[in-house]
Order: sequence, then C-alpha cells, then structure tokens
Amino acid sequence: MNTKSKAYTNGEITVYWKPSKCIHATTCFRELIEVFNPLKRPWVNMEGASTERIIEVVEKCPTQALSWKWNRDIKTTDQPEQSSHEEEVTPEDIFALRKEEPVKISLMRNGPILAEGSFKIINADGNELKTMIITSFCRCGNSKTQPYCDGTHRKVGFTA
Amino acid sequence: MENNQKQVQFKVIKGGPMEVAGNFTITGHDGKLIEAKSPAYLCRCGSSNNKPFCDGSHRRVDFKG
Repeated sequence: MNTKSKAYTNGEITVYWKPSKCIHATTCFRELIEVFNPLKRPWVNMEGASTERIIEVVEKCPTQALSWKWNRDIKTTDQPEQSSHEEEVTPEDIFALRKEEPVKISLMRNGPILAEGSFKIINADGNELKTMIITSFCRCGNSKTQPYCDGTHRKVGFTA
Repeated sequence: MENNQKQVQFKVIKGGPMEVAGNFTITGHDGKLIEAKSPAYLCRCGSSNNKPFCDGSHRRVDFKG
C-alpha cells in the first residue's frame, strides 16, 4: 500500500492526507461527507464545501492525518504529488486491514447511519444484499433507495 | 486469539427498524460511544423518540420502507 501523503487542492488551500496516521476516527466524514467521502474516488472532493468549512473540519482530525496549508504559503519545491486515481488509497483500504475489529456504526448529524467493517446485510425478503466495507443506511425514512441513504434527509430537513 | 465470532449482520425489518447483531460499536455524531446490546434495533423511519433506537413509532407513522 502506498502510504505517502496525498494532496488535494481547490486552488486556495491544499489538504494533505497521511494514510499511515489515519486511525479511522471518521470525524471528517461525520462532519462533512460532501468533501470527505470514502465511497468516492478520489475520496476528497475539494469543491464540496467552502474553504473555511474544510479548514474547520480538517483541524478536528484527532490524529493530524489530515492537515492543510494556504497554497500561497507552499514553496514550489515542497509540492507533494497530486493524487491520481490509479493509486488512490482511502480510509476504506486502511479499514480492510482491521477486519477483526468490531463493526463501527456512526450516526451522522441529521443524516444516515454509517456502518464500517466486515458485515453482511439481509434485506426484508431474506436475501443477502451487496456487502461493502462502508455503507450508509437511511435513518430519515425517506430515501428512495432503502435501506441505503440517497441524500433525501437534507431535502426533508431531518434532524437527529 | 481464535476468532469464533460470527460476521456482524444488519437485517432490514420490513416497515420497521434495522436489526444489527454481532460485535459492533455505535458512535454518536458528537463522537461519543452509545451503549447498545446485541441485537440492537436502529430506527429507520425517522420518527423514533429514542433515536438511534427504535421505539415502535414506525407503526404510528405507517413506515413503508
């Protein structure tokens, strides 16, 4: 696995992610799934929120696996590699190495239930559904893709 | 250590909650752990007054999911 620091930029700031420091605390995706979404490639979307909001969430990372810099403060000599799709490593890959650990269920503010780990999903008809390492389940009752979240909680103003 | 534990299972209950059984933890959006026994029943209808757990409200609101 490539554990070098990854860089993501919106032109104004650059966010760095250091896989070797990530303990999968999930703070980033609980706070800001629009930017930090481990189901997407690349998993960091710098266009998903304002620079101020991204900085706020990056600074909450408990391990400093996430950090940031103003682009104007970055010397051209210490530019890290920009992340490419081919070698994209995400928190999901890190988690795959920890199969023996309990499945982690996280409640997203005003949003879905996020389940991470090794688990299976049985549908109401008894059939096994596709199992993923990270899945978000609808909690507002309004998703059109039950039992999964489709983002409808925002439209209906779900609070929890 | 030998791992005899069965894989964690999420079971969708028609018109009702999500049953989750096995070795799991539940963390609130504030990052604090929420105590739960296995199996736990997580609200899916959005109307429970005991979130994240089910309190039977899905029947009151006639949840179809």
